[in-house]
Amino acid sequence: MSVTAPTLLEARNLRKTYRLSRRNQVEALRGVDLDIGSGEMIAIMGPSGSGKSTLMHILGLLHSPDQNGGPSPELRIAGVEVGGLSDRQRTKMRADTMGFVFQSYNLVPTLTALENVALAGEYAGVARGEARSAAMDALGWVGLAERSGHRPMELSGGEQQRVALARALVNEPRLLLADEPTGNLDSARSKEVLEMLRRFNKERGQTLVLVTHDPEVGETCDRIIHMRDGLCERSEALRSTS
Amino acid sequence: MRLFRELARRKLRTTLTILGITIGIWALVVFSSMANKINALVEGGSQYFAGKVLVTDASNIAVGAGIAPMNIEVAETIAGLPGAAAAVPQVQLIYDPEGGGGFGVSETLLGSVAGSDEGHESFEISAVQGRLLTPEDEGSRVVVFGSDLATKEGVAVGDSIDIRDETFEVVGVLEPTLTAPDATALIPLSAAQELMAASLPAPVQEAISPDELISQVVAYPAEGTSESELATQIEDAVDNVNTLTGAEFDEQVGSATAIFNAIIIGVAVISLVVGGLSVINTMAMSVAERTREIGIKRAIGGTRGRIIRELVIEAGVIGLIGGLFGLALGALVVVLGNEAGRSSGTILFELTPGTAVFAVAFSTILGMVAGIIPAWSAARLDPVQALRYE
Repeated sequence: MSVTAPTLLEARNLRKTYRLSRRNQVEALRGVDLDIGSGEMIAIMGPSGSGKSTLMHILGLLHSPDQNGGPSPELRIAGVEVGGLSDRQRTKMRADTMGFVFQSYNLVPTLTALENVALAGEYAGVARGEARSAAMDALGWVGLAERSGHRPMELSGGEQQRVALARALVNEPRLLLADEPTGNLDSARSKEVLEMLRRFNKERGQTLVLVTHDPEVGETCDRIIHMRDGLCERSEALRSTS
Repeated sequence: MRLFRELARRKLRTTLTILGITIGIWALVVFSSMANKINALVEGGSQYFAGKVLVTDASNIAVGAGIAPMNIEVAETIAGLPGAAAAVPQVQLIYDPEGGGGFGVSETLLGSVAGSDEGHESFEISAVQGRLLTPEDEGSRVVVFGSDLATKEGVAVGDSIDIRDETFEVVGVLEPTLTAPDATALIPLSAAQELMAASLPAPVQEAISPDELISQVVAYPAEGTSESELATQIEDAVDNVNTLTGAEFDEQVGSATAIFNAIIIGVAVISLVVGGLSVINTMAMSVAERTREIGIKRAIGGTRGRIIRELVIEAGVIGLIGGLFGLALGALVVVLGNEAGRSSGTILFELTPGTAVFAVAFSTILGMVAGIIPAWSAARLDPVQALRYE
């Protein structure tokens, strides 16, 4: 019932404590174990401060789990144990294997939609010309081909998030990580972006992990992981991945 | 293109930084051009005085500023010394007694019999227009102009010109030498003697015939005799003269030039340090402003090296633009300054291709070096923190 597909991501003992000051420290994650199958669409839900974002940052290799204070953490993504990777290797892995979508779009304001998308291609080592044509294709997937020359400021919120989505997709990553992707959008735009995410997940078999507050968003996913106080409280399967 | 949009986004700050570098490089270009000119003068002078001994009357205020009269017999005496291969009697006069003195090399009128050095003169001059003087010119009123003086007077071969109230025909113009001959008009000895005689007080004029008048002797050492040995021989044999050898010239002028060069380098270094700090400031501000953007780039797969490279190139472009503007402004000052100075014979600057390339390369590298520190700290940012930055 739970995971039928081969495992893409395997996490054990993920802990993270943030030291805000000498006396004040926050245990954001207190030992998370998690398996995500290839092609799954998963929502991570939970109240504020439950550790959702911290988990995303660790899965996205933006932060490392704590080594001390308990059993050794393990994190395997696409068969690679990432614990021992250098910053450069982790960065390379982000570029090649992952796509990020953020709540606040996070486009580079001076670059056009096309350049924003192409940048991700260039960082993954694609030549400039090829990156541009790949970026054009990706903008086509999200229905923004004709807006490619516009800068973020000239685009609506929904359009900006679709550009961000194209940027996340341009390298055809195996894992898409989305942190509140619809958090800044109205319900119509929200639905649009969500449908796109769902479509890419289904059509391309891209694994999608998204963090959300919104129960409606959670319900479109295959599985919801409920978090509370830095732990995975329970995993709720809504439909099985075929 | 992206890069220029980055720079254009912070118009004011980028402009101010570029302006700062522009001024630094402008100063570097102008001062270096001045140093080039002085060094060329010294270098040329050094060559000009090498291998000979200049003999003037001891009553002159300085050796080489020989305008006090001597008797032509002195030249014959010197020619007869065992250490002398040849001795050329010359008359040197101020070209225009009413005009002011020029910078570096004053304008002079030099009379000597062509070919009287008997092939011992090693400083070569050639005519860019017309011809050089010949021994047959003695007795006629012809003149060969040095390049700067010709430009100043606006003369060409075939023109007639009044020098010290006498009319001369221009028969040649010299190639630029960057030293004394550029500001010199060469005339036959006999003509110069007459002009000199005319300039002397009446009682002196009566006492001495023009063809005995000279103001200096250029002596060439014989094979196996050094300049200083010849100078000693001359001072022993002839009363009341001063001698100047090439080595003494280098010594006199060299120390003054070294001080001047040190001042120039000091000014340029100060202006460039200021320019460099300005680039560091701009890049540091720009990094702070773009914290979030750097976080985005790191998150989507930009390596630290890549981030550093982008920022360092940006700083390099600021340096390059500043350098090009500085060079352009500096070149303008050099051209205008020389143009304005030409009428008074004051050619202050010499902008060499080496100086131009150095100035631009230097400011580009300066920009890049100044950009490294902020770029480095930007690349060390925690991407998550950077993404939260507002």
